[in-house]
Amino acid sequence: MIPKVAVLSGFGINCETETMAVFEMAGAKADRVHVNRLVNGELNLEDYHIMAVPGGFSFGDHLGSGRLMGNRLRFGLREQVRNFVKSGKPVIGICNGFQVLVKMGLLPGDDDVSLTQTASLALNDSGHYENRWATLEFDSNSHCIWTKGLTRIRVPVRHGEGKFVTADKRLLDNWNEAGQLVVKYVDPSTEYPSSSDEVLPYPISPNQSWRNIAGVCDPSGLVFGLMPHPEANHSTWLGATWTREDIEHGEGEGMKIFKNAVNYVIENFDN
Amino acid sequence: MGQVQIFNFQVTTRDIEGLTDARGESIKAMLDSDYSISVDSVRVILGYQVKTDISEKQAKSAIYDLFADPIIEFGSLNESLIDNKKLFPKLPEIAITVGFKPGVTDNAGQAGLDGLTTIFPKASDKSQVSTTMTYLFWGVPNNISPTWLTSKLHNQMIERASISDRKQCLNSKWPNLEFPERPPLTEQPSATVNLEVSDEELIDISEKGLLALNLEEMKAIQANYRKPAVRSARKNLGLPENAPTDAELECLAQTWSEHCCHKIFAANIHHVDHETGEDTYIDSLFKTHIMKPTLDIQSEVDWLLSIFHDNSGVIAWNESWSLCIKAETHNSPSALDPYGGAMTGIVGVNRDILGTGLGARPIANTDVFCFGPPDYSGRLPEGLFHPSRVFRGVHAGVRAGGNESGIPTVNGSIVFDERYLGKPLVYCGTVGIMPRKLADGRQSHDKTPKPGNIIYMVGGRVGSDGIHGATFSSLELTEDSPSSAVQIGDPITQKKMIDMVLEARDLGLIQVITDNGAGGLSSSVGELAELTGGADLDLAAVPLKQPGLSKWEILVSESQERMTIGINPEDCEEFEKLAKLHEVEATAVGEFTDSGAFVVRYGDETVAHLPISFLHDGCPQLQLESEWKAPKHRPILFPSADAVEMGKILSRLMARPNVASKEWWVRSYDHEVIAQSVIKPFCGVNHDAPGDAAVIAPIQGKTQGAVISNGIVPRYSDIDSYAMAAASIDEALRNAVCVGVDLDLIAGLDNFCWPDPVESMKTPDGRYKLAQLVRANRALDEVCRAYNLPCISGKDSMKNDATLDGEKISVPPTLLFSLIGNHSDVRKAVSSDFKQVGDMVYVVGESHQELGASELAFMLRDESNGESGIGGKVPQIDTSRNLSLYRSLTKAMSNGLVSSAHDCSDAGLAAAIAECCFGCDSGADLDISDLFNADINLDYWGALFGESLGRILVSIKPENSEIFETFMKGHECNYIGKVSSGDKITITDSNNLVLVASMSELRDSWKGTLNGGRS
Repeated sequence: MIPKVAVLSGFGINCETETMAVFEMAGAKADRVHVNRLVNGELNLEDYHIMAVPGGFSFGDHLGSGRLMGNRLRFGLREQVRNFVKSGKPVIGICNGFQVLVKMGLLPGDDDVSLTQTASLALNDSGHYENRWATLEFDSNSHCIWTKGLTRIRVPVRHGEGKFVTADKRLLDNWNEAGQLVVKYVDPSTEYPSSSDEVLPYPISPNQSWRNIAGVCDPSGLVFGLMPHPEANHSTWLGATWTREDIEHGEGEGMKIFKNAVNYVIENFDN
Repeated sequence: MGQVQIFNFQVTTRDIEGLTDARGESIKAMLDSDYSISVDSVRVILGYQVKTDISEKQAKSAIYDLFADPIIEFGSLNESLIDNKKLFPKLPEIAITVGFKPGVTDNAGQAGLDGLTTIFPKASDKSQVSTTMTYLFWGVPNNISPTWLTSKLHNQMIERASISDRKQCLNSKWPNLEFPERPPLTEQPSATVNLEVSDEELIDISEKGLLALNLEEMKAIQANYRKPAVRSARKNLGLPENAPTDAELECLAQTWSEHCCHKIFAANIHHVDHETGEDTYIDSLFKTHIMKPTLDIQSEVDWLLSIFHDNSGVIAWNESWSLCIKAETHNSPSALDPYGGAMTGIVGVNRDILGTGLGARPIANTDVFCFGPPDYSGRLPEGLFHPSRVFRGVHAGVRAGGNESGIPTVNGSIVFDERYLGKPLVYCGTVGIMPRKLADGRQSHDKTPKPGNIIYMVGGRVGSDGIHGATFSSLELTEDSPSSAVQIGDPITQKKMIDMVLEARDLGLIQVITDNGAGGLSSSVGELAELTGGADLDLAAVPLKQPGLSKWEILVSESQERMTIGINPEDCEEFEKLAKLHEVEATAVGEFTDSGAFVVRYGDETVAHLPISFLHDGCPQLQLESEWKAPKHRPILFPSADAVEMGKILSRLMARPNVASKEWWVRSYDHEVIAQSVIKPFCGVNHDAPGDAAVIAPIQGKTQGAVISNGIVPRYSDIDSYAMAAASIDEALRNAVCVGVDLDLIAGLDNFCWPDPVESMKTPDGRYKLAQLVRANRALDEVCRAYNLPCISGKDSMKNDATLDGEKISVPPTLLFSLIGNHSDVRKAVSSDFKQVGDMVYVVGESHQELGASELAFMLRDESNGESGIGGKVPQIDTSRNLSLYRSLTKAMSNGLVSSAHDCSDAGLAAAIAECCFGCDSGADLDISDLFNADINLDYWGALFGESLGRILVSIKPENSEIFETFMKGHECNYIGKVSSGDKITITDSNNLVLVASMSELRDSWKGTLNGGRS
């Protein structure tokens, strides 16, 4: 089978082209799906196997990044989204898409998919938007289907509001125990594994996120979101320092995430 | 729904351990970095004034459903948060609230309104949201007045402020801004302008009406309305027979404005050269020196698809895709409102790409700015912002415009000179991509307009903002410059429009498209009308931001984010449906015709009837005088300096704003969206060494690339603008060569920004400035021909003067040359950073004793308070020598032989060496004795800091050096030493130590100058 991916678009989402491209490179068929085509019934999420909310500046990040798009989904597509998640299909939110999933309460989320916001992404401590490369380390014990087999990857971060925080710090422990704090910024000069809860200095942690959190998944491990852009490292020649490295050119370090989801769908939905 | 009332929402950051009020901290950092003022604490409260008919209960739910983040923010409805003792236990010392003036674009407010209707779909469609920012200060030095502080936090041209000073704060009396109601406009009835008046009165009509038309042009219009045929035709239409309507005069003024019709480049110029005795006439610089060379090149290649006539130039990139490129300047608006001016600049040039052919997708931005020195401490004429403020505002505007539109900023440059104090130059460029063919077989670079096509206005609405932008930018800047010429862009409205237009293009719905920039509908419909031979426009159908606009204002308003699109009548339904899906307003406002006239109506009333031929060809040619006499400059006085002192001089050069690292600023541009960025603005082991040209691979997964570079060296104009232009072009090409461009597919853009070169009372030296323009154009002609580098589009801005306080400041003649080229295989692209200790370093190209107007010369002038001059030989170009060297070098690159390549430009070879070392965290051990072979006059100053063209610093793996040298046979290619471990850069001439420096010290001075705040 060829899994079908709904890559959301519209209202200032702007990474849909490359997000579609990486899913196609991973062996899926990706459609650009304007949010309003789901709201007006022209298209139905049910017909897709994966939903991706790409990066961008939906509604210009005004009133908090991801909030207005989150509301569009929370108020306009509530049941479609809940049913999609409950039917065991993977969802990813990247950068602004992650902000959307957090603000609409899908991440870190809960078993009932109640869409209640429990965390947020605050302004970077630097107070401004930045584009720089970071090294990420994945929790190898996590049950997140998107990150299976990943250890470390290098990808760009491109955001102004990426500091993962919550009002109740005990929640962090709960999420940690449940394997939901799946990806963190890490000092590339250390040996794997070495992720730490102690906030790393800038710019290793570009935003001073709590516990260096770069991305989280929901309790089911199917919904995953992260601030950095794995889709922007789909090929080796897009790396930050590839001209310094003796490499065989080909697939970039970010591709595995998308392949994981495509393979998961093939394994679980091919009937 | 209930009654319309105003709800006041306030939002601030919650007090959570480990969470900061980053907005407040940024203000604190800005005050420290720009004004050296240290404040204990700054907090920010966001305000949303919402005028709507929802219920109190609904409003309450909106606090955390919409305005405040429930986790990290605290929100209130109709309660002042400053009074909340839990949030702010201590009274602030100063409180300032800033909000927009009525009618100014409030993007956050617009987003808030959208959010309101998402939650309450039944809320009145007349609902409005306006935003404010309240700044609370603690621990402000006593000598800082609240008014001064306020002036740094807002721009009174577009914003209002309310202040609570120290005393008012003690009494808990807080700043307050009323809801910014737009004052009602009173529509002026259509008027007729009597031109049967004296010459003085004609000039008066032009000046009072901000028409920017000269006497000859006014008389040409007068003459048109005296023609019997015109009069009888007008009589039949029921128009005033012997005089233009106000709408006609406005339409002519903008169509004939310098901004839109480039009168100086079209002028007949009498050029006298006192050095050579030349006395000649040039019939249009544009036709002679820009168009002709490109047309000559076009006859020899098959990849120049569309040049000069469209919104951008288009080249065939491969069988399936074409690329287009355009750069614009937005200087005057950026002087008045740096943020809004620059933002409309970038989103405006994006629309040029969208309006190319049948619509192209913008995929890369380039930004080049020229500002006054950021540390300028001299007298600032009244009415000017300090250059650091202009810098910050322009940067923020371009950042917001580019990032929010999802277009990466891949390349750029910032140039500093005191003469940019009056008018900053803000060059915004964009590259676009489109499929060569649409599904219906049409070539996408060709417009296919037909009479009968319905004219749609798509995107934003028309308002009183942006009236007279085209004519205003054709005038010098004065204290009286109108605020209506300033606008703020709305990237989200535009992004929705771009998504929708590209979908419409792919469905084959678009027949013709152009953007609404300068001159608004008058310009966009007027220009497209030339293609079919006429248009019929109904102003009554045009959606307005507010009622009460006069008819001529609707016609010429430059309100942003609008495209004009022609659609076949049978496709209109589908087009409108698509617009609705994307929540983009698209309104049929007329029809293209072949009537021979541009007819503008308001319902049944005809308000303008302009024959297409008169509108587009009626403007009389200017007759101008040009006189060249080479300027005299005092020579450079070189200090005596040993090797250590030479190192210190290099260190001071690295700290010069023109050379210093721009990383803090460039990092806040998204340069990687679209996942195509191969050679990025930064390279090297620490990602902080500067790249030369950008390389992108725009089709994801494919390895064919495009190279984008820029060249700009206004300093050289002080000696000779010919050398300035030649150096700019060579710099752009040299940068592209550094990454391995395919020299058989390169195209350029010329963007001239000049001081007024027309001799007049206000410009007594106009003849000299025009001669500078002539010389720059001749360089462009000769160098582009030699490099086989056609100019496919360009722009000029010819009035970059500011007269303020009775003082005139003119920019130095400035040419930005931008280049787009092919890269055959991005996996072979080369970056500028040295790669490994032990790699062999070569200088390719000849070094000459060329220090005239160099960065070193300017530094020594500044350090000696003008005692030392900038005179001397300015870098000369040898195009055939350079091109054949570039060919050999790029061939070596495609064979994988070159490890790094970096162009030698500002501050010469020594600066290039330092930058290459930054990228490798290494030193270098070099001997430059072979460099002196090419020029017996070359001394150490010239060798280290001279800016001779055609030179590239490369490094090669030792095992590749022999074969590399064979590739470079026949060219000046000198091995100068090795990349070394450790921190020292040493440069010798055989046994003589010439320069010694610590790489990390150089890095500190290079990074210290333009660090814009905390990171």
